[in-house]
Amino acid sequence: MTARPRFHGWITLALLGLTALLAAAFGGRREGLAVRPRPPEDGNVLRVACTQLMAPDPHQRHMPLAQYNQLILGLWEPLVECDPATGQPQPAAARSWAWSADRLTLTLALRPDARWSNGERVTAADFVRGWQRLLRQMTAEAETLFPLKNAAAYHRGQLKDAGAVGVHALDDFTLQLELAAPRPTLVMELADPLLSPLYRTDEKVLAGREYFQTASALVTNGPFHLVQASADGYRLAASPWYHDFAAVHLAGVQFVRADNLAIAQLQLAAGVVDLLSPTPFGRSRTMPTVRPFTVETELEPMVTSLDFNVTRGPLQDVRVRQALALALDRSGPIQRYDPGHMVAAWAWVPDMPGRPSLTLLKEDAREARRLLAAAGYPGGRGFPVLAMDLPLASRGDPFPQAWTECWYRELGIKTYIRYGTSTQQAAHLRAGDFDVLYNGLIATVPDAGDLLGAFLGPAEFNGSRWHDEDVTALLTRASSRSGREHLDLLAQAERRVMAAVPSVPVMFQRRQTLRADEVQGWYADPLARQSLKRLQLAAGISARPIRALE
Amino acid sequence: MMDPDTAPSAFPLWRSGRFWLGMWLAVTLVLAALLLWDAAPWLRGEPDAAFRYTRLNQWPLGLLWWLLVPAALWMQQNLTMVDWRWPWTLALHALAAALVTALFIFLAAFRLVVANHLPVSFLPVVIGDLREMGGWNYLPALVYLLLIFALYAVSFYREWRAGLRLTQELKVANAQLETRLVRASLDALKMQLHPHFLFNTLNSITALIRKDRTREAEDVVAGLGELLRRSLDHRQEAMETMADALVFLRRYFDIECIRFQDRLQVEYDIAPGCRSALVPSLMLQPLVENAMKHGIAQDPAARLLRISAVRDGTRLILTVYNDGPPLPRDDAVLRNGIGIQNTVSRLQMLYGDEARLRLRDQPPHGVRAEVILPFQTHTP
Repeated sequence: MTARPRFHGWITLALLGLTALLAAAFGGRREGLAVRPRPPEDGNVLRVACTQLMAPDPHQRHMPLAQYNQLILGLWEPLVECDPATGQPQPAAARSWAWSADRLTLTLALRPDARWSNGERVTAADFVRGWQRLLRQMTAEAETLFPLKNAAAYHRGQLKDAGAVGVHALDDFTLQLELAAPRPTLVMELADPLLSPLYRTDEKVLAGREYFQTASALVTNGPFHLVQASADGYRLAASPWYHDFAAVHLAGVQFVRADNLAIAQLQLAAGVVDLLSPTPFGRSRTMPTVRPFTVETELEPMVTSLDFNVTRGPLQDVRVRQALALALDRSGPIQRYDPGHMVAAWAWVPDMPGRPSLTLLKEDAREARRLLAAAGYPGGRGFPVLAMDLPLASRGDPFPQAWTECWYRELGIKTYIRYGTSTQQAAHLRAGDFDVLYNGLIATVPDAGDLLGAFLGPAEFNGSRWHDEDVTALLTRASSRSGREHLDLLAQAERRVMAAVPSVPVMFQRRQTLRADEVQGWYADPLARQSLKRLQLAAGISARPIRALE
Repeated sequence: MMDPDTAPSAFPLWRSGRFWLGMWLAVTLVLAALLLWDAAPWLRGEPDAAFRYTRLNQWPLGLLWWLLVPAALWMQQNLTMVDWRWPWTLALHALAAALVTALFIFLAAFRLVVANHLPVSFLPVVIGDLREMGGWNYLPALVYLLLIFALYAVSFYREWRAGLRLTQELKVANAQLETRLVRASLDALKMQLHPHFLFNTLNSITALIRKDRTREAEDVVAGLGELLRRSLDHRQEAMETMADALVFLRRYFDIECIRFQDRLQVEYDIAPGCRSALVPSLMLQPLVENAMKHGIAQDPAARLLRISAVRDGTRLILTVYNDGPPLPRDDAVLRNGIGIQNTVSRLQMLYGDEARLRLRDQPPHGVRAEVILPFQTHTP
């Protein structure tokens, strides 16, 4: 049986028309595109890309950290801020501070001219309120306050009386902190955006997300206040009540939502945003427009490491650990996968303000093989398969594979990578059921002691379970010293750690910021806490904000 | 009688294409209205509204299939593979699959462009970025091809079922036709074995033998045998040529001529070219026997029986005339006449409305049986 042909020529024409349309979209121009002109209403408004809708809540830390810091430090002002060059604390909401003789009590004097965005005074009680809220939240961020007396017990519910926590408002402008133990980095830690004060109605406003309906309901004490909140981001305007209003150059800041970092990069190229941090991972791309921009780079206070479980099998032998450290080839994988962001690590601590990173490790495959043979495993013979735990989210991360390939290629040691949930990993960690942990540690203060503190004792960051009395003594002494002596003691501790190699640092990370050249006043800050109040737009498109108090 | 326009249709509403088209249009309109209503604040440019949180952006792109499925159905129905253009059809379906995939990628990129406030000129850049990030989803091509495959499968299944039904009907028709043929054979045989015919033939043979006309007696016996043999031959074809039919009739007339002595005069008026014409096997036999029985045998003055065949364009007209008495007025005699009803049935089954049998008086005397049927010959 045959059917009559029912083919119509115009079907072909329609398909070809659609093909032409799609071909134009798929094959269109990708370079030399026009930059969208800045809208008049954004003449002096800095537009910042953000890749998720962060809550304007200081107690909900979002990643990427730079975007969270920019939003929170735009709206709120903690007690201090760290000098990006020296890392030393500078007055912010507090104008001065003083330690007690036993260094267990810190008394801070608040600025009398500090105001909320509605004109009311910022008091010590507002800080107490904010910090108590942070402690009530069942999040890891609450640990920031654990150096305070009874803070950990209150957070865990073992203590019901909030008044027993070591933060007290002695009067409107005096805040007193009681510590469980001396902590020399405490003042620097007070610059953390998590430790912002909270206006008396803010907790309710934040919980109910009322700022989406009435932006002014969210009362803040920072250089900017919220004027609009939507699914597309937030708009901030210079707060006329801010104590240092005269130093604020920008009329406002617009946080523009982007689906991901690659799209945010296109937003910068198109003239939709002026600032993006961090940049997308991987190799850099060609920008589709000729908008002038600069890639700002700063080293993050973060170390990526392979922690060895020193209580298990051959890893108890320092020669084995040294062999594993020497056999790694850092530069190859870094060049292959992400040369823009990753830097080879030769010590535990990266560059810190006033303290460049040391060179304590090297790569030497021959020496590695010799040490392994000396430990009784020539060519890796008889060496057990190493179990390495990785989170499921790391499946796309090519580096762990690269490190284990080095061990197999140079030493004949095989590794079994176990991807698991955070719960499974925590269970393995608690039980010591692992050999290697691919770990990342980030400092919250610009001090080497913060990263070296991971080796002070068995803790959740100490994946190696390695403990050394001499290192503990050095770090304890360093915490009671300052200046050069403090740095020297930390360097001694770091050398001792790296000699024992309980953990081998593999990479430090650079943070990159894409800055349109019309944005001026940018400065490097390892903690990504650049204050937006210090930035300005190029002359000709800017108009300084005018203070108009109601 | 009921008006056909108002009579309830046997075709259910839900099987109507228009019904489903209407349903599809209604749902599409409702969906479009809902999407527009949801996106109205963004379309009006309200400051708090964002495309990102509209259903236009958030609803899965898979809903696009709601719009594409009718197009795919239409494509499949119009690009049937069962013709010589099937390579074109395959190429067009492949192109359509690629276009559908490209359309999904295009819309995903377009959403990103709109949601992220990028200029439309960035569309090619976003499409390129999506590819580099592995964001090109090729699933729509697979879905399209599976859909088309399923539609073709259903279509072919229906055609197969229809073909099967037709084959069954043809088988039944063939069986009925065969039955009629067998009945015709039996009718002919019955006529030949009729006691009157048989006794007359045997008496004729006896008379010939008594008159020492043994040679003629042998011919009659042989003719009778041939008549019986052909009537009993069930393997014979449904159709025979006019020439074959005449050979059979001549055998019959050879016997009848002896019985009727010199009274029977048989004439053949066969037009050139009609000898090769195909006619239903044994169709003329009952007509001739009727003419003999109800015509020649009923009137001693009757003697002429004429068989003629003439071609009239695409038709073949066969006539059996006898100059006997006119037809009886009783319809029942005509209806139940030996072989007549069977002949009418066979003609109807073989040719439908294209064939007919007419039996009528031919003044001033005689009866004429006329068969009109399509002129057919063996194809070379």
